[in-house]
Amino acid sequence: MKQEEKKINSTDKKNSVTVILPAKHCQDGHAANFDWSKRIRSIVGIFVLLIIWQITAQYYDQPWIFPSVTRVLSQLAHPLREHYASGTLLSNTLISLLRVLLGFLFASIVGVTLGIVMGSISFIRDILEPVIELLRPLCPIAWLPFAIVIFKLKTLPQLFGINYSHTIFDQVQIGMIFVIFVGGFFPVLTNTLDGVASVRRNYLLLAKTLGASPVQIFYHVHLPAAMPMILTGLRQGLGLCWFVIIAAEMMTGSDSGIGYLLMYAADNSAMDIVIAAMLIIGAVGAMLSFLMRRVMFRFVGWKEKEI
Amino acid sequence: MTQKTEKQKESRYAKAIKIQKLSKVFHSESGSTVSALHDINLTVNSGEFITVLGATGCGKTTLLNLIAGLDIPDEGYLDLNDNLKFGMNIAYVFQHYTLFPWRTTLNNVAFALEMRGISKQERKLEAVKLLSKVGLEGFENAYTHELSGGMRQRAAIAQALAMKPKLLLMDEPFGAVDDSTRADLQRMIIQLWHENQITIIFVTHNIDEAIILGDRVLVLSERPGKIVNEFDVNLPRPRNHLTPEFTEFFMKIRQTLSGQLD
Ligand SMILES: Nc1ncnc2c1ncn2[C@@H]1O[C@H](COP(=O)(O)OP(=O)(O)OP(=O)(O)O)[C@@H](O)[C@H]1O
Ligand SMILES: [Mg+2]
Repeated sequence: MKQEEKKINSTDKKNSVTVILPAKHCQDGHAANFDWSKRIRSIVGIFVLLIIWQITAQYYDQPWIFPSVTRVLSQLAHPLREHYASGTLLSNTLISLLRVLLGFLFASIVGVTLGIVMGSISFIRDILEPVIELLRPLCPIAWLPFAIVIFKLKTLPQLFGINYSHTIFDQVQIGMIFVIFVGGFFPVLTNTLDGVASVRRNYLLLAKTLGASPVQIFYHVHLPAAMPMILTGLRQGLGLCWFVIIAAEMMTGSDSGIGYLLMYAADNSAMDIVIAAMLIIGAVGAMLSFLMRRVMFRFVGWKEKEI
Repeated sequence: MTQKTEKQKESRYAKAIKIQKLSKVFHSESGSTVSALHDINLTVNSGEFITVLGATGCGKTTLLNLIAGLDIPDEGYLDLNDNLKFGMNIAYVFQHYTLFPWRTTLNNVAFALEMRGISKQERKLEAVKLLSKVGLEGFENAYTHELSGGMRQRAAIAQALAMKPKLLLMDEPFGAVDDSTRADLQRMIIQLWHENQITIIFVTHNIDEAIILGDRVLVLSERPGKIVNEFDVNLPRPRNHLTPEFTEFFMKIRQTLSGQLD
């Protein structure tokens, strides 16, 4: 990839007046050279692992300790099967996702706003930065007991005066949201802050000479220049939120979510469910990361090759 | 063309910039001080094309920054004609980072118009016109990283021209392009200067370029920058490198510059 880029760059320098290859072209060219043998090689490793797993599991034949691939797959193939009245794999995954998305949404809004304010007004930054540096190293899970004491087990609908809404929202406890918020908030905040504060001075001067007012400079320079960092913060934040929710659900006091189901299944020696839940957690995490990457590329593709 | 030159001569009587005893000192964070400019005296006439030569680090960029109001002098006095207004008709093509990488070429060129609250269609129309003027038709939607060095310079010039500047400051705008592109860009800038009544101050490292473009060539000394000599280039345009007069200017300027190096 690197070499290909260099080649294209050198040709476009020679032909600087006439011909330039637009970036799209490079991507297409790359897709055309799609390397099937490499793709197959990358699958082989996983395949071998699965075969070793299956043979070992069958050899020891103790599924409550080490279930076979087929047992785990059969759990994954029946995501709607009820387990010990704790709900299904699917329902618990959705509950966890909903909690994460709500907590993350909250963390993004507060984190980005505060980061922008602190990044552009040094007076406020000076006041808040020590507080944030004090709280940031604290593991988000350490907040859980505190959050449970403060919010009891209040759910989101109860916050709005509805005692029982008979929807999935009844599984969204404020305390959980708070802990996820703490998990996502700091990466979003610090990245946004860095992004806004470290905008190249040249771009600010350029905008100024072209007649931009301070407010316009903020909207048209600070914000777009900081966008890659903001999105990096959001991506890190979302990843961390997903880590935090699983850990939080495994703590006592929780009664739903994929992390809870995993813990509960382990207590009941249902290792096939435990491993199925692990695979789901990993897959969802990877999916969230992938989606955020797509969003990033869509919005800040220009950053890839900034001059 | 002859009409134009007469017009230019007329407007020569108006002073665009008057600089007296201008000095600038930088205080670095480590505590050392750098005297970047010392005792600059300069009067620029309206419609004049000034080129500035000088060794690297002698304060050329600093001089342009002071004129553009991006920095304040420590001593001396800098007076702009009343019709020159910051953010309105003083355009500045920077040495580096001349375009916003998150904007397309069209939106880069339209930036100044957007800041003035001009409607989307109108500024698009104007930007397309400017892009074709600098020879960038068809690259409206390209991002900065998709343009070559020479194309970036063209786009940056279009971006500056969108302000309809009366004063155009250019800091080594053709520094990173090959010779034939450079010649193209030089022709282009002369034509733009002829078409519009602009005062231009143009910094370069290239003696040829300074003589080809300038009505007057200023030579700055090494740090702290002082104006050691100026040359009135009274050669007809378009100028030819191969004439004896041109060579004479070249030799004289070259001597002045290398005299500085000893
Ligand atoms: N913001 C600044 N802070 C401290 N020193 C500075 C600053 N800007 C410039 N200088 C110093 O002032 C001197 C003149 O700098 P300037 O950028 O004007 O040089 P220049 O003539 O444009 O050089 P070049 O041809 O390499 O662009 C240099 O020694 C530089 O180190
Ligand atoms: Mg410079």
